[in-house]
Order: sequence, then C-alpha cells, then structure tokens
Amino acid sequence: MSGSKPDILWSPHHPDLYVICDSELGLYRIGPVGGTETKPGTLSLSKETAATLLAINSDTPYMKCVAWYPKHEPECLLAVGQANGRVVLTSLGQNHNSTCKELVGKEFVPKHARQCNTLAWNPVDSNLLAAGLDKHRADFSVLIWDISSKFAPETSVAAEKIRLSFVDLDSSSVVTKPLYELGQNDACLSLCWLLRDPKLLLAGMHRNLAIFDLRNTSQKMFVNTKAIQGVTVDPHFHDRVASFFEGQVAIWDLRKFEKPVLTLTEQPKPLIKVAWCPTRTGLLATLTRDSNIIRLYDMQHTPTPIGDETEPTIIERSVQPCESQIGSFAWHPSSQNRMVVVSASNRVMTDFTVFERVSLAWSSTTSLTWACGRHLYDCVEDSTGGTEGAAETDIATKMRERAQSRYGHDTVQVWRNHLLAGGTDPQLKSLWFDLFYMKQCAEDQELKLQGNKQSVVYSGIKNIIKTSSGTTESRRCWSGSDRQADVPRFYSEERCLALRLCGWISRGPDINVETFLRSLEHEREWERAAAIALFNLDIRRAIQILNKGAMAENGDLNLNVVAMALSGYTDEKSSLWREMCSSLRLQLKNPYLCVMFAFLTSEAGAYDGVLYESSVAVRDRVAFACMFLGDAQLPRYIDKLTNDMKEAGNLEGILLTGLTKDGVDLMESYVDRTADVQTASFCMLKGSPGEVLKDPRVQCWIENYRNLLDAWRFWHKRAEFDILRGKMDPSSKPLAQVFVSCNFCGKSISYSCSAIPHQGRGFSQYGVSGSPTKSKVTSCPGCRKPLPRCALCLMNMGTPVSGCSGTGKSDEKVDLTRENKLAQFKNWFTWCHNCRHGGHAGHMLSWFRDHTECPVSACTCKCMQLDTTGNLVPADSS
Amino acid sequence: MELHILEHSLKVASIEKEGIQICAHGLIKLAFLASKTRCKFFSLTETPEDYTIIVDEEGFKELPQSDLISVADATWLALNVVSGGGNASSSQPIGVTKIAKSVIAPLADHNISVFMLSTYQTDFILVRERDLPMVMHTLSSEFTLLRVVNGETVAAHELGVSNGFIKPKLVPRPIIHPLSSPSNMFCVTSLDPDTLPSVATLLMDVMFYSGGSKEAGASGEDSTHIRFFSFSLIEGYISLVMDEQTAQRFPNNVLFTSASGELWKMVRIGGQPLGFDECGIVAQISEPLATADIPAYYISTFKFDHALEHQFHFVYLAQSVESLPSDWLINFLSTQITKREYL
Repeated sequence: MSGSKPDILWSPHHPDLYVICDSELGLYRIGPVGGTETKPGTLSLSKETAATLLAINSDTPYMKCVAWYPKHEPECLLAVGQANGRVVLTSLGQNHNSTCKELVGKEFVPKHARQCNTLAWNPVDSNLLAAGLDKHRADFSVLIWDISSKFAPETSVAAEKIRLSFVDLDSSSVVTKPLYELGQNDACLSLCWLLRDPKLLLAGMHRNLAIFDLRNTSQKMFVNTKAIQGVTVDPHFHDRVASFFEGQVAIWDLRKFEKPVLTLTEQPKPLIKVAWCPTRTGLLATLTRDSNIIRLYDMQHTPTPIGDETEPTIIERSVQPCESQIGSFAWHPSSQNRMVVVSASNRVMTDFTVFERVSLAWSSTTSLTWACGRHLYDCVEDSTGGTEGAAETDIATKMRERAQSRYGHDTVQVWRNHLLAGGTDPQLKSLWFDLFYMKQCAEDQELKLQGNKQSVVYSGIKNIIKTSSGTTESRRCWSGSDRQADVPRFYSEERCLALRLCGWISRGPDINVETFLRSLEHEREWERAAAIALFNLDIRRAIQILNKGAMAENGDLNLNVVAMALSGYTDEKSSLWREMCSSLRLQLKNPYLCVMFAFLTSEAGAYDGVLYESSVAVRDRVAFACMFLGDAQLPRYIDKLTNDMKEAGNLEGILLTGLTKDGVDLMESYVDRTADVQTASFCMLKGSPGEVLKDPRVQCWIENYRNLLDAWRFWHKRAEFDILRGKMDPSSKPLAQVFVSCNFCGKSISYSCSAIPHQGRGFSQYGVSGSPTKSKVTSCPGCRKPLPRCALCLMNMGTPVSGCSGTGKSDEKVDLTRENKLAQFKNWFTWCHNCRHGGHAGHMLSWFRDHTECPVSACTCKCMQLDTTGNLVPADSS
Repeated sequence: MELHILEHSLKVASIEKEGIQICAHGLIKLAFLASKTRCKFFSLTETPEDYTIIVDEEGFKELPQSDLISVADATWLALNVVSGGGNASSSQPIGVTKIAKSVIAPLADHNISVFMLSTYQTDFILVRERDLPMVMHTLSSEFTLLRVVNGETVAAHELGVSNGFIKPKLVPRPIIHPLSSPSNMFCVTSLDPDTLPSVATLLMDVMFYSGGSKEAGASGEDSTHIRFFSFSLIEGYISLVMDEQTAQRFPNNVLFTSASGELWKMVRIGGQPLGFDECGIVAQISEPLATADIPAYYISTFKFDHALEHQFHFVYLAQSVESLPSDWLINFLSTQITKREYL
C-alpha cells in the first residue's frame, strides 16, 4: 500500500462507504449517478453509480496496511500499520463520538522497529488488534494489542518509560506492551482471526502457517508450506482458508490441516490479492500483478462430498472490470457479487458486478430450466396451443403424447393409429391407411395364395406394377349415358391389386367403387367422391354426389354450379364448353373439382393435369394412373412420383415404395425432416418380417425411440414396445445373460424348471410354482442343497414373501403370457451385482427406501447408489 | 527448537581496501538492485583491514576476478535456529547468547570451525559444506533438523556418517586471543526496502568513501575509534551495523530503531589474523557471556594474508552505556582469560 500499491476497504457496516488507501486514506461515498445535482468532484464508477470523495487523511506516512474497525461505533475508525512497525489508530471524516476521540491517535509501538505487514481486528472481541511484523532476531512478530488499554501506572512500566525517553512521543497515547506476543524469530506476512473460534488466530509465518490459541499461547498448530501470504477465511465455510504464494493459491481445510485440500492452477505472475465473496458461497476472486482481469474460482461443490469417488470440481473463469491494470479490488459486503476495483496507476475506480454463471438444463420433456444468481427460471412449452400462428408443437411433445395414447399399438385396425396420433396429420392418416390396406390385402392373399405372394403386397405399387403382365385394354361407355367414351381403360391382376392398395376397391373380382364412394360421402368428402365417380366414368353419380354435397348441412352451394357445368359435358373437340372448362378450371379452389374438368377436357393418354396435380392425394392419382395409363406410361409415372415422394419424405409415398429399401429411404428423409422416430419405428415393424428390419437405419430409429421412452421414464411403454418388436422381429429378443448356479453343485438352478430365457421370468416362476417334479423348490434341483436366503426375511429363495396370498402351491400349469402373472414382482429374487447379496424384490425395495447400504450386516456396499435409476419412478402408469 | 539448513551455497571473500573500486559496480548491483540479480544472500562488512563479502553463488558471479580479491576455497552453508515447531514457549527470544550453549559449544567440541553473521533479524551460523554431516550428527540430538529445498522446508535426514568421529574432549575453553574494545558505540538497525532508493547515495558514500570522508572530517583523532560498517541483504531483509555518528547522517524515520534505542559496545577478538581452521573462538567468548546472560551479536570477517587464511571475530555486547562501562566488560571477560594479551 505504499505509493504504487493502492487498496480498497469497504466499510463493514455502511454499504455505501469505502476507503482507498495508497499514500493517503480517502473516504468515498458511492451512490446512484446523476442525482438531483451533479456535484463537482463526483467520479463516475459505472453507468449507474458514482462516488463522492468525503474526506482525506494523510496523517500517517509510510502506510503498509490498513484495517477497518469491525463494530458499528465508532464507525470510521481505522488501524494503520506503518513501515516501522507502529500501529496507529486514525479516523476519517467528522466523528464527535467520545470513544473515538479517545482512541484516535493512539499508537502501538513494538520493541524493535520493522515493517508491519498485516493487521487484523478480532471480529468478536473488537478491542483486540493483531499486527504481523517482519522478523527480528530478538523479538516476536505477532503482537496482539488491546486498544482499550490505558497507559499503565508509573510503577509497573518505569523501565519502559526510560526507554521511551529516546523516542520523543506524547507518551500518554503510546502503548508499548502488547497483550500477547507470539511467533518469535520469524516473520509474519499475513493474519486472520478464525471465525469458528475468536480466540484462534491464523498467521502466515515465514515458512509455515500457524494457528495460535490465545487461551494457551505456548501451543500452536502449524504446517510447513510456502503458501503463507494473504490468509483469509471463507465467510460461508469457517473451516476453509485460502492462502497464496507467488502465482499459486492453496485452499486449506482446518479440520485436515496437514496439506492443502486444493491448489489452484498457477498463474504466471505473482498474486496480490485473494478474497472470498461475502455474498456467494465458494466464490474466490484472485488478482495478479500487472493484470486487468480478476480470476474467479467457483468451489461450490467442494464442501459436500457427494459420493465416495467424486473429485472436487472448480470452475475457473475471469472477468475484466475495466481496461486499465487493476491495483486492487474489494467485494461489497452485502450487495450480491458486487465489487469495486481501483486501477493500479491513477486511482480510477470502477463499480462492477460479477455476472453469475448461468447453468442450464433440458428436461426430457421439452421444458428448460436455468439458474442465474439466486433466480431460477423455468421455460415450458405453451401447452394451450395458442393461435394459429403459434409454432407447431415440438415433435418430442407430440411423440410423448402419442406414446401415452398407445399410438402404433393398434395392430388390428391399423388405420386407427392415425387417430391415436391425434388425427390431424394427413400424411400419418395416409400412412396408416396404406398399412391397413396392405395388411388387409396380405391377409386376403394369404388365404388365396397360401402366403407365397404375401411379401408382394408389402413391396409397394412400384414393384407390383413392374411385374404386371397381360394388361387388357377396354373402352367403356359413360354409365347412364349412351355415348361411347373414347377413353381407354386398362386392366390386369396387378393393377387391380394396386387399386385395392389405394383403397378404391375392396375384395372381389369386379371393380366396384360404390362402397368407397359411400364412405367418402359419409365423411363429407364430396369433391373427392365426385371425382372418383367421374374417373369411373359415372358422370351421373358424380353430379348426384355434388348435389348431395350442396344440400348437406353447411354444404357449399357452389357445388350445384359445378354439377351444372359437369352436366354440360360434351366430347365435341371444339365445343365452347370444352374451351371454357379447360381455361376456367384452373380458377377452381378445390383440386378435385379442378382435376375433374382436367380429365374431361384432356385427350386420352395425356392426363398431366390430373397426374401432376400435387394437391390431390397420392393414392387417388396412383389409382387414376393405374386405370388410365398404358403399360409404357404407368411405370414411368410411378417411378417419377416415387422419387418425388422419397425426396420430399412424404409418407403418402409408402403406398408406392411399400416397406422395402425404397421405403426406408423415404422414411429416412421423413425422419431427417421431422425427427419422428416413433412413426418410423412403428411403421417398419408393421411390415412382413424381412430385410428392412435389419437395415441399420431402422435399428437406429428403434433404439432411439427406446431411449426416448427410457428418458421419459415410460418404462412400461418401452416394455410394450419391446414385446411388439419381439413379435415382429424375434431376433431382437435378448438372450439370457445371467444364470444362477447352485453354490454347492454348480449347476444352474433354473435349468430344470424353466425354458424361458429371461432370467427374471425364470425366477418369478421359480419363486412360487412348483418345478415340474414338484420337489421342494427351496433347494437346488440338482443336489437338493438349500438355496440362498433373502437377506431380510432369511427365508430360502423360492419361498414367496410371507403374507402374499399363496397361489404358488397350486398345481396348475402356468402360462406366462397371460395377464395374471403367477408371481408378483415382489416375490422375485433380486440381488446386487456388486456385493451379491439380495433377497425378495419387495423386501429389497422397502429396505432401500430408507437405506443406501446393503442390508447384510458388515457389508458396506452402497448397493442403491450403484443403481443410477434405482431411485426413479416410472412416469407412465402400468 | 528447529535448526534450518538454508539452501544458499555461500562464498566468503575478502576485498583489499584499494580493490574496492573495481568491485564497486558489482557490489552496488547486489546491494541496491537486487531485482536485477538472482542473489538472495549478500553481506558486506567493512573493517579497518578490508571488506568481507558473504554472497551466494548467484551473487558471486557479479564480482570480478582480481588479485585484490581473495576467496576462501570452501563453500559455506548457513544455519538458522528457529523456535518453530510446537515448542513455542514464550520465554526470551533466542540470540547468540542462547544458541551459544546449544550450537556453538557442541560444534567447537567437535572441532568444527564456524563463521558467524548476526543481522537485525536473526543469526546465521555458517559452516563448511563438507562439515555438514558432522554438524548434523552433532546437533541432531538437540534440534529438529530441517532443510530448505526450493523454498519448502523439509525434514533433513542424517547423512549416515556416524563412524570415525573423534570423541569430543570436553576441556574448558579458555580465551586465548587478545581482546580490544574501541570507544565508539554501534547501533544495529534495518530499514524498509521500499525506502532503500532514497538513502542509496548515502549508503554508497558510507560503504565506499569512508576513508575519504574520515580524512576530510578529520574527526578520527581518537585512535580508539574503529572504522566498522556492515550491510546485508538476505532474502529481502536489510540489516545495517554502523556507529552512532554514521547513523546520525540518516534522515529521521528511515532507520528502524528499537524502542529502547539501545547501543552496542564492540569487542574485537584477535590482534593478528586468526585462521579459519581454528575452532572454538566464538565459543570462547559466547559461553561466558551466555552464562552471564549478556545479549550479543557476532560478525565474523575474513582477512587473507600471504597464502594463509585468517579470520577476525567481532563481538558486540549490548549494554546501557551508563550502567555498564566497557572496563567492566573487559574485566568480566578477563576473569576467563588464561593467556592474557590485552591490546
């Protein structure tokens, strides 16, 4: 603190006062900037705050260290340590308090002059002031002065007075007898009183840290170390102390004082100040020489050891409060994370608040939480849906809701899955109908062809059409009309199958769309129904449908107009009707109405207006193509459409690709676009067991979906999914991984009683029912020696938990696939894989609700802590 | 008690009075520009005969080679007694007086030559590096031996030499060298290293131009006055020994003075140069003083003379000027002297 080295001290009790000391002491008041009047001499410290110089004290030259009196009264009393070892009490500003007047000017003089390095007021017994001095061959270096001591009566200190006569001083205010003298023949470089006991003083001596106890000064605790400068106690954790040496900070725990608990990474330049943040636990600020940054160490996690093997973690970061080099800094005593910084050269001050680290965490369910300072922010997705303009719900939320509604699990009425998914997504609707029709056809074909062509159904229309042969061409008349249509229509078995897959026709030899039209009418899809009727050359039916639509509740009256226009159809090539329709149709909003006129006005074989109308459902366009495109045109069109669908990741394209490699490609671009691994997984599991499931992409979706379910703690859902998957893909069932062998004979004890590979199941069965030979199952079936006992009830394995209704003794054959499980989970036998102790699952669960350690006495295994998910509960009900 | 074996490897050299000018550059650098060198141990003592330098190997590189500089062959190690450890009885601090019995006498008994350097802050006992095993063996019973390695203090292990030591002959140690006591009084003091630049010119004057100023001042009429000045800068601590008159030339408040303002009387041992190999000289004086509980400083110096290495010993005894006349001291010591050779 001599000339070049300024320091800052905050008033212990006034949040707006601080002192800067370099060659003199300056008292400042900090306040909001730009108050009513801007006084001259106000220094701006930040955008919001400014400081006013209140008083200057330059009475004490050769200042080496300063300490502020810790009590409220007298308020601006400072102790100054000088280069010659004297400690002077001084004050700043007006102070009319009588105690203060009595104290100010008092001097404490050591026997032998040497530099005073540090001062520390006792925080409790504030009369005690400890001073740390350089070493002297015949003197002590830690002197504890009692500031209330009067100059003692003549008799006892006559000798002192004679000696003082050399030093011409006003002897009434000079104290030469310290209350305590500690640390002989050694230098004291830093001091602090321990907060855990105000009689303990920690001193950084020349080569060791020493703790002096004022109750027994002949005893001291000490540890040899180089890190003896700047000792300071963590105000939030009274056993934790920081000290430093050159560029390295050491953190000590007073309860284990032999060596530092932590040493922080060494800085290239020597440190000048280290201070714990008084408003935030475990935050240590350090400053090195010639630096414009303050380095912060966050030791939040260190004091509480969480597990046995957790290493203490420190988070290091730096802040730059100002451009210039920092001379010193001081934390504000009460304002959170705030400090004032003074520059090294020209006493420029900066008011600075360290921004708290933000820690952020995603939950598995789209909500986001972050913490900053003492605030915790929670961000959740707006579940109300909001207005139309609001962003679409995140796919993860959708998948989660769908998983809860058992999406994908309807294996009979497959199309219903799109309703489980919410029924709002047209692509999903199309997909599940495709899969439904495929399933229907497959079952049908199975009956007809004994399953040998089953896979054809799942290979998609693209492949079905390629195998087409024997196409017949026919010209049909408009039904209900005598006019001969010049539209050629094509037939073949494959085309017929394709139409079935498109959903236009149902089982049977003849092509009859009437059932389909009725269902469309039922769903009020008037335009679509009319178009399909028209494509089937039934113009009268189309008009009838349109009329119906116009008349229906909330019907569109314009449909009548369209019907009118339709009824004027003529095949005259150059008629006005044809001319007007072909141009005006483009103004029709509804794509089906549009394609109807496109169909009527186009030449045979040139149906681009219909085929490339992208708003028309793929299935309708494909069905149309199957009816009206020749063997040359059809595959070309289907290939093109397939490629478009694959590129766009449009699920309607599954109709074309089926569940083939093409289908996986299409699904891949769909997943890339939407991340909907759920739909992808279920879709791929619906097909015939085959190559697609072996595709690594499919496995990846499935695994990801399982992980998602795990993350949501939907363990029952995952189990259901695994069961479904196991049915479709038996290779996915895991093999038995654990077998229990008898301790005595070494044979697997499940061997004779269960063929089911799952060991869990095996034991559940084992637990209650008898083995086929009806032997007592508490013994090894091989050697008849007893099985291990439950650590809690001490019953042998194989005995059900007592109190449970003993269905176990029944002789009935057990079918595990049935709903009624023969053994409840609590009867299962379970054990810790680490210490190999265990017992009934029910007993273990209740034990580990209250304990972390193994129930076997003398076993210290923390079984439950080893199980990372053991303390979680499933989020879905079973 | 702890005995710290410091890590400085020290050289002891003597510079002839007329050789001071060729060394001045190096000496000024060592004394005033410590940050420019890697020297951590430097001491300069001026006596009427010569300048004695004690400096570590880093600092030794700063000195030129010259016929006027003679260097003792041996490398010396500094020992420092610290009342560290758990035994911090609040008895009187220790000085040479206290360590006399525990360190100096046992070493003398084992014929180990020591070189003493007392400073304002502490006492250093210099021993030859080659004597270290013997020193450790001798002192291990009395002290916790600690060795400073790279600034860290670690327990020193005995070097395993326990055979072949001559059984010490515990003979009474009479004072065999003549004593003299000059009339001027000395003070032992220190100053804040931060204020060193402000008094640097004055210190240089005192160090290097003493001869000149003395002649000019013509105050040296009193033949019993002795020219003596010592400056040391050891691990950042400055220590000064000078006579009263020199001290008065310093500005107020620069020098650290004891509250009692004590002054010291000098006793000089040896009329003619004493050999390095002679043992027990310090012990001769210190033992009786310790018995009488008289605090003392020691500074050993070195005079090279015609292929023979010699040393002088100086003792400073604290005493209140009024109460203890120097005659008393000489008388006190003379009672111990068998071979009387007063000067």
